[in-house]
Amino acid sequence: MTEERKNLVFSSPPDDVDAVHEFLESVWTANPEVSEYDRMAFETALIELASNVIQHASGEGGVTCVLSVTADETGLVASLADTADAGGIVLMNREMPDELSESGRGIALIQALVDDLRYERVDERNVWTISRAREAQAE
Amino acid sequence: MEFTTETIGDDVAVIRGDGRLNMVSAQPLRDTVKRAIDAGRHRIVVELSRVPFMDSSGLGALISCLKSARETGGDLRIVAPSTQVSMVLKLSNVDKILTPYPSIEEASRD
Repeated sequence: MTEERKNLVFSSPPDDVDAVHEFLESVWTANPEVSEYDRMAFETALIELASNVIQHASGEGGVTCVLSVTADETGLVASLADTADAGGIVLMNREMPDELSESGRGIALIQALVDDLRYERVDERNVWTISRAREAQAE
Repeated sequence: MEFTTETIGDDVAVIRGDGRLNMVSAQPLRDTVKRAIDAGRHRIVVELSRVPFMDSSGLGALISCLKSARETGGDLRIVAPSTQVSMVLKLSNVDKILTPYPSIEEASRD
């Protein structure tokens, strides 16, 4: 696999997470070596992240995001930079809520599906990075 | 995402989704299930074979609908979830309250 980096710029409103799904389709088409489970896990984590960013910015009149996804031999990395105010989302060590809870699972799901989840505030942007190592392939 | 509703007997509504169950389609699912319950259909079967993807917003909507159905003495059951949907159910520890049924027939039995 050669390294492949793809970018998407989207603004919500009017864009929504379906734009991220469609963008990932093009990433998977360009990287057919990525296993079905890696795709599924990474896509779920990235959609949870994008949904959180969109949802928390909805009270601020919307948000513009730059999403970059890299696929190479070692794994998958996504970086999402958004224009929302700082501090909207608390990331670390979120427990899965009880089974009848209707919300609060997004960050816990991301933590279960990727190897690393990071947040930085850079040049008045929130920059979120998730990475997942590729599954070991059977020889 | 479109939802369609079919009825079986006196109190079962079979709701079929076609597309991704995420923050965009969560509210339409809630609205569709509410209409069925308001019409006296307390036993809700959500058929998921054409739902390739669900996130925590979609799962939240399913749980909200399950609670609404139970409050009126009914239930909500899911049928034929995809591999991704099953993964989200399991990681969220809700596979005990939303146990997948293999067919609409089995899910709509007492």
